[in-house]
Amino acid sequence: MSVILKTEKLRVEYASRELRSGIKVALNGLDLEVRSGEVFGFLGPNGAGKTTTMNVLLGFVNATGGEARLFGVDVREPIARQRIGYLPELTYYYKFLTAEELLRFYARIFGIPRSEADRRIETLLKLVELEHARGRSIKTYSKGMQQRVGLAQALINNPDLLILDEPTSGLDPLGRMKVREIIQRLKSEGKTVFFSSHELGEAETICDRVAIICRGELKAEGKVSDLVTQHQCDLEKLFLKLIGYQPQEVI
Amino acid sequence: MNNVLAISGIVIKELYRRKDFYVLFVLTALITLVLGSVSFFNDAKIVRYLKEICLLLIWVASLVIAISTAARQIPAERENRTIFPLLAKPVTRGQFILGKFLGCWLACGVALVVFYLFFGVVSESRGRSDSSTTGLTSSAATEGHAASAKADDHEGAAGGDEHHDDHAGTEHFSVLLNYVQALGLHWLMLGVVTAIVLLGSVVFSAPSSNITISFIGIIGILLLGEHLNKVALRQQQPVQGILYTTYFLLPHLEWFDIRDRVIYDQPPIAFVDCGLAALYAIAYTGLLLFVTWFVFRRKTLTL
Amino acid sequence: MTRAAPHLVLALLLAVCFTLATTIQPRTRAWSDRAKSGNVLKMLLGDGRRMFANHFFEQADISFHSGYYPSIFDQREPAGKSAMASGKDEHDAHDEAAHAKAMAFLGQPRDWIEAFGRHFRITEHTHLAHGQEREILPWLRLSAELDPQRIDTYTVAAYWLREKLGKVKEAEEFLREGQRNNPNSYEILFELGRLYRESLQNNVRARHVWEFALRKWNEQDSGGAKPDPFQREQIAVNLARVEEEAGRFARAIELLELGKQTSPNPAALQKQIDEIRQKSAPPSSAPNAPAY
Ligand SMILES: Nc1ncnc2c1ncn2[C@@H]1O[C@H](COP(=O)(O)OP(=O)(O)OP(=O)(O)O)[C@@H](O)[C@H]1O
Ligand SMILES: [Mg+2]
Repeated sequence: MSVILKTEKLRVEYASRELRSGIKVALNGLDLEVRSGEVFGFLGPNGAGKTTTMNVLLGFVNATGGEARLFGVDVREPIARQRIGYLPELTYYYKFLTAEELLRFYARIFGIPRSEADRRIETLLKLVELEHARGRSIKTYSKGMQQRVGLAQALINNPDLLILDEPTSGLDPLGRMKVREIIQRLKSEGKTVFFSSHELGEAETICDRVAIICRGELKAEGKVSDLVTQHQCDLEKLFLKLIGYQPQEVI
Repeated sequence: MNNVLAISGIVIKELYRRKDFYVLFVLTALITLVLGSVSFFNDAKIVRYLKEICLLLIWVASLVIAISTAARQIPAERENRTIFPLLAKPVTRGQFILGKFLGCWLACGVALVVFYLFFGVVSESRGRSDSSTTGLTSSAATEGHAASAKADDHEGAAGGDEHHDDHAGTEHFSVLLNYVQALGLHWLMLGVVTAIVLLGSVVFSAPSSNITISFIGIIGILLLGEHLNKVALRQQQPVQGILYTTYFLLPHLEWFDIRDRVIYDQPPIAFVDCGLAALYAIAYTGLLLFVTWFVFRRKTLTL
Repeated sequence: MTRAAPHLVLALLLAVCFTLATTIQPRTRAWSDRAKSGNVLKMLLGDGRRMFANHFFEQADISFHSGYYPSIFDQREPAGKSAMASGKDEHDAHDEAAHAKAMAFLGQPRDWIEAFGRHFRITEHTHLAHGQEREILPWLRLSAELDPQRIDTYTVAAYWLREKLGKVKEAEEFLREGQRNNPNSYEILFELGRLYRESLQNNVRARHVWEFALRKWNEQDSGGAKPDPFQREQIAVNLARVEEEAGRFARAIELLELGKQTSPNPAALQKQIDEIRQKSAPPSSAPNAPAY
């Protein structure tokens, strides 16, 4: 299986006047490999650097050191993003557009011909169950509905690699299940899914492999079953152990 | 190019859905019509003050539209995080900036066409009533001297005299040409303004400071730009050098303001000069957009 | 109860605001005289309106020159009164030349930017004519509205109204308005007299107005304000002409003598005086001559 997402010794430092120390190391020599056709869970506590990694992969943030490649192309090339779909965490879409217009706009960016775009928009709206609200502007949507618009726009170009930043946050249990179903369906279609999550149970059920990072460093990586047998505990215990949580410290 | 057009389409859509620059249309129209209804010394033929005020309002309104929309584009994309899904698509940052520019500029163009149509209707409706009656009064007032060219034309046209008809035709054509030139140059100037403001929006972090600084800068150029060399002459050396350099580097937006030529019915400008001015504006717009791209190219977007 | 409460509070607050407004408003009148004047412009602009009035007066002059006008950055030679304010047709070739020279402020362009920029400017010195002079009127009207104490607004507007636009009635009304606002202005009275004499051929009224103007001039003079001596000459000479035509030669001579004191060209006036003396000499040498 070919590697389609790869980072090598990735290092990111944020420099901002607002930070007291001057710079903040968000990623510290991160090595990752995601192979084609797998569902890869990217786990870590808050502030571990998950979003930062994705920002580098999409070119929003420049790596201070190391390199990142998608389909073997440096992430700084826009062509690297032709075959990916991305769902940002906490994102709002153009509020003055309707879901349909938004999807049409993105389809145009990918150069999808009109008739094809119409067809895809139709199926996607059905998939994320927004058909009833397609003609309303996005500012009238609830949080979960916006999240679903996000999922639809990530799928508009029928991508080979999906990068999803916390795809289930803000969704109700039914919505989460739907997302899991979608991910599994995509996998069955041979797509690769790279997603971050805090939901360990969720990761356990749908991921082929997971990586656990903490403070910008990779702590563990591998098949869930392998990790569990290796460390003789379930994923949750392992996670807590890796991020340095000591139960007795709690008062 | 497709991406650029798609992004500019979104900009335009946003503008007309937000509806806030309709207020400027209504305000301009209202003020002009109110002033147009005032009678000065029972003389209904006075037009130039109305043209002057209407054009002034149009200029102010267009600058407000151009600056406020351009300044909002990129900061709003970042604040609302709409830039992330967009740039995660195969869109370069250059295309993003060009698309934003084009959207703002086209929107300004549409607004200008509406404004100038209104202006044309207002000034010509008065201008017509002018030529239909000037004949008698003005010739009486000028001791039987030849009446004004306009009145002459009109009488000629009424008489069906071919030569005069021609003359009237060319005159109307030149008035129209004047309007078109004024509109075109105005629009080109707004291109430079939009580019300046876009650059400001990637340099300054707060949109409000960008708007204030751009507004002052642009008004300053429009009012003082052409006099900077004369001011420089009267200064001591270090200041003189600085002023001269600024004078030669500044985009001379005041060239594009040919309101006076429209108000005072001057002959149209030679096409060569218009063309050169257009080149000048395009060059500056290009330069500014390039600098904008250069600054924005490697910018970390999460900050 | 809970449903109505917000409305009640709203009503209460409105009532409070209204009461406060009505009780405080009369007091604010005492704070500044701005609020007292009924004029909206005056209230909005305060004393800044003088500045705007000047601006609009200049705008009228710009309009008169079809936009060809020096900015504050152009070194302009002192041109005295602008062509608009003096009424160019009245002036001789010498004045004309001086004005043309003063308005030749453009000169050679200093650099290519300036040279190219001229294609978009108005670079020809012209004056409005053939009834187009009307275009300056709105600006003058506005100037008068903003600063009713600015006297030349009235005189200039009246001049163009009656001389070039044949609107004697409007000119008279405007001058009257100016006179109401400036009861002591001899300039306006003088212009009014000219209107009666030159446009309405009403020498009687002209004479009254001019006599009155002369009195106003003297009042100002004795009051310590320094009135324009040339204006007195103008009034005196014009009045003298009326008196001469009416046959009151003694008064005419008296007035011309008065004018001579401040005239730039006393010799010409002396000549007029001599002429009148000659005319009036026969009757004075034969005092008993019956009036046929
Ligand atoms: N723009 C920024 N400037 C400075 N520091 C930043 C910036 N963005 C993120 N960081 C820091 O970088 C680290 C990694 O942040 P990141 O957003 O990648 O975390 P995350 O793993 O996505 O967390 P979460 O699960 O809460 O989404 C954090 O410590 C954060 O404080
Ligand atoms: Mg995150």
